[in-house]
Amino acid sequence: MHELSYAQALLDEVLRLAEENDAKRIVKIHLQIGELLLINPEQLKFCFSAISKGTIAEDAELVIEFIKPKIVCTECGREFDEVIGICDCGGIVSIEGGKDFLLKKIEMEVE
Amino acid sequence: MHRIEVDAEYDVLSLNKRLAKENREFLSKHGVIAINVMGAIGSGKTLLIEKTIEALKDEVKIGAILGDVIAKDDYERVARHGVKAEPLNTGKECHLDAHLVHHVIEKFGDVDVLFIENVGNLICPVDFDLGENYRVVMVSVTEGDDVVKKHPEIFRLADVIIVNKVALAEAVGADVDKMVEDAKSLNPKAKIIKMDLKKNIGFEEWLEWLRCALRSRGE
Repeated sequence: MHELSYAQALLDEVLRLAEENDAKRIVKIHLQIGELLLINPEQLKFCFSAISKGTIAEDAELVIEFIKPKIVCTECGREFDEVIGICDCGGIVSIEGGKDFLLKKIEMEVE
Repeated sequence: MHRIEVDAEYDVLSLNKRLAKENREFLSKHGVIAINVMGAIGSGKTLLIEKTIEALKDEVKIGAILGDVIAKDDYERVARHGVKAEPLNTGKECHLDAHLVHHVIEKFGDVDVLFIENVGNLICPVDFDLGENYRVVMVSVTEGDDVVKKHPEIFRLADVIIVNKVALAEAVGADVDKMVEDAKSLNPKAKIIKMDLKKNIGFEEWLEWLRCALRSRGE
């Protein structure tokens, strides 16, 4: 359950920003997650709800946007949707991105 | 009460990335090559480290960090060979991270090669850079010959892929060549070694790769 460590790092930053803005409640948390990052969104949500109990983020909704990696043959330029190492033309396929986990913005209630 | 939106642009992985960078800088400064040894439970990670220590103990100074959830068995196995070793228990986590390694790395400034044996599984350790120079993924034929295809990320990001226990392939009905082909098609740049540690198959090829990595240190 490696989602727990992601959830903890996320909660720490959310609460830090909440305090900075004098928030009373966190409503929504917008995330961008690369498709190649081995993270299960349901487990992330479960872990986040478990560890945020008793904080002002406990009922916050996690809104996740998935980001595709760029998978392109370095020889012929063909693009792929799935991870592959070698293209049909024999060229090596390069894979970029798809590994990020970004906290983009937070919707919060303030006085 | 009203609602506001706060832009964050925060990299949730930033703490691990920063500590991995510090680990890497420490290793580079002291001329240490660190190898993150990954693979499923029972794939042969600890035995690979033990046999490598025995084979190279007059040639290179080896250290080892042994990650496990709670037990210290792997640490005891390796420490018995007379090298500097540290157990790292993750407690509840299924992978090592740069922070855990950061706690002990300073003890290894005087070794040539530092093996970091990760917690045994093919998923959780993948996205946690420890600051290593190379990733070695061990897989055994007894895990089933479709195991490479089912776990593309760990094999895609490996520098060396070892298919272990090949002498048992027939007994368990596993196709070693399929495993090698799957690994090659995911990761054409990786060094792929067919091995059977208990029968001494492929072990020399591994030592050759390691010696080569040592020679190219600092380049």
